[in-house]
Amino acid sequence: MVSTIQNTDVKQKDADRAVVVAVTSRAVFESGADGDDVYGMGVAFPLLQALQRVNERLLEENPAESLLFDVVLITTDSQQQQQSSRIISSTRHYGLEVSRFCFSSEEDFVESLQKNNVQLFLSTDRNEVPQASQKGVLSALLDRQEAPSEQLRVMFCGDAVNRPDAGPMPASRQAAQSFSAQLGEMRQRFGMSDSPLSIVLMTSHGGRESCGGALRTLRSRGVNVDEAYCLAGAPLSPILSVVRPHFLLSDGFSGLED
Amino acid sequence: MVKMNLDPLQVMSGQVKELKVSPSSNGDSRGSWEEKDEFDQDHLGLTTKPKLPKPENAVTIAVSSRVLFRTEREQEVYLQKGVEEYLRYQIEHENEPFAPGPAFPFVKALEAVNTRLRELYPQSEELFDIVLVTYNHAHVGIRLINTINHHNLFIERFCMTGGSSPIGYLKAWHTNLYLSADADKVREALAEGIAAATMFMTENLTEVSESQLRVAFDGDAVLFSDESERIFKAHGLDKFFEHERDNEDTLLDHGPLKGFLEALGKLQKKFYAKGHRLDCPIRTFLVTARSAASSGIRALKTLRAWGLEIDEALFLAGAPKGPMLEKIRPHIYFDDQMFHVEGAAEMGTVAAHVPYGIAQKHNLKQNSNVGK
Repeated sequence: MVSTIQNTDVKQKDADRAVVVAVTSRAVFESGADGDDVYGMGVAFPLLQALQRVNERLLEENPAESLLFDVVLITTDSQQQQQSSRIISSTRHYGLEVSRFCFSSEEDFVESLQKNNVQLFLSTDRNEVPQASQKGVLSALLDRQEAPSEQLRVMFCGDAVNRPDAGPMPASRQAAQSFSAQLGEMRQRFGMSDSPLSIVLMTSHGGRESCGGALRTLRSRGVNVDEAYCLAGAPLSPILSVVRPHFLLSDGFSGLED
Repeated sequence: MVKMNLDPLQVMSGQVKELKVSPSSNGDSRGSWEEKDEFDQDHLGLTTKPKLPKPENAVTIAVSSRVLFRTEREQEVYLQKGVEEYLRYQIEHENEPFAPGPAFPFVKALEAVNTRLRELYPQSEELFDIVLVTYNHAHVGIRLINTINHHNLFIERFCMTGGSSPIGYLKAWHTNLYLSADADKVREALAEGIAAATMFMTENLTEVSESQLRVAFDGDAVLFSDESERIFKAHGLDKFFEHERDNEDTLLDHGPLKGFLEALGKLQKKFYAKGHRLDCPIRTFLVTARSAASSGIRALKTLRAWGLEIDEALFLAGAPKGPMLEKIRPHIYFDDQMFHVEGAAEMGTVAAHVPYGIAQKHNLKQNSNVGK
């Protein structure tokens, strides 16, 4: 059973233009003691604030801006479902710019994502992410971050698999392309310095040609990358801990360098 | 230009592993960022270039784009017209490769050493690994890649930080030496314990060897600490000699470039082990104002105690370094005093400034007296 509740505290976004990002409430809120009215801040909290900041800055540049992030909180956890009012009140308590709340079960949450036209799904659950991805919804796993940045940092991984014959195109490739194009358009609203959004490219296996190819492909979609890291086989985690992206998008980005 | 001669045997000896599907799509429940590490073996046999070493095994040299290439015109655009115009200019000129910069001959020589190392030790990861670390925006990336291709450089790793500090990346890459045009970044790196030096563009460079890497070091405040220099500056030359004589058997403390000399020494020993002492493609030089008769002894004893060999020690007893360097023709010469760096450059040697120790206060005083 899927249900959607609008958050009347927040102005609803333009359905045609907004970039719908669904985040699981389990990622945003941490269950505290049962007596508390309000949840604690979870792993995705800084991410939500960063998304919010981008919207604020977009509206500063153009008060009539319709290309904004439209954040939906999706609850699949049966425990949290019973606390739906607590989720809503916690959201209001923190003043989070969430336009809708979706409640569904583990079985039909993907349906909920599709119904809500979700362009990016973020979760801390390692099973949910590939499930959504298989059904064509661009998804990424959220990890706890040390010292998350105020600036929204999105990383594209340019070379998950570098072979055209390695099986069927991931279902979410189309979703990845349109999301990246929208992100690129958003990025162009800001100047080179002091942008609330940074687009980062990383190629982990290939050499400079891989990275160069990915830069060109992204540029052809209107995505101008701010930072590029070409690892050519070097270990990822030391570099990732310096780059500190809020999330990584590799799903659907294979073949960027073609 | 030195062409990279890739031994075809090396390419064939890499095993062709089975292709694996990306772990993060199509139903695999592992999505963690860290687990992508496992798959980096797969491309060994499928590329035509030699496999790159793990950063901690290699001698990692990080160079910025401004020292590897000449970017003066672009710098002018940046300073006069700002970052947006600068990036537009770069993209407009994307297909025009940059000309070689002051670090270029050094990098070419590193590649020549790698070729010889791969011949002798095909499986070893003890090689030079050159990483381009720049705080340029990735908009300049394509032009930089085009330039690397044009000059046939073997640089496959880079960090374009889009304006944020590169220092964290230097550590992540286990950098053994960082070369940049930005003195502040170099100072930051030194403060983090990373050997670093500032490079400047010089015209009329003398020709250097394409087959032997030649690296020259000043002694005090470069290989050694600045303790002796402090005595000299505070109490004069006589006191300096006296102090050195009295402390002949006390080791000098280490300086910021000691680790780099050590790394070079390790690679040299690999050549010696295979009977290549006479034609070793790495040669190191100490070029110091100390004199052989007195103060030089302490320097040599210290090096020996550290287990470091230096191929040639030149004690100038205060004579200018330029003419000597012109004879040695190193690919790079490290000195802590701008006076010597400039002197070397005047005679065609690529000199790099190590902004470390007591001489820097002196440098600053000089600059403020002269004014901009």
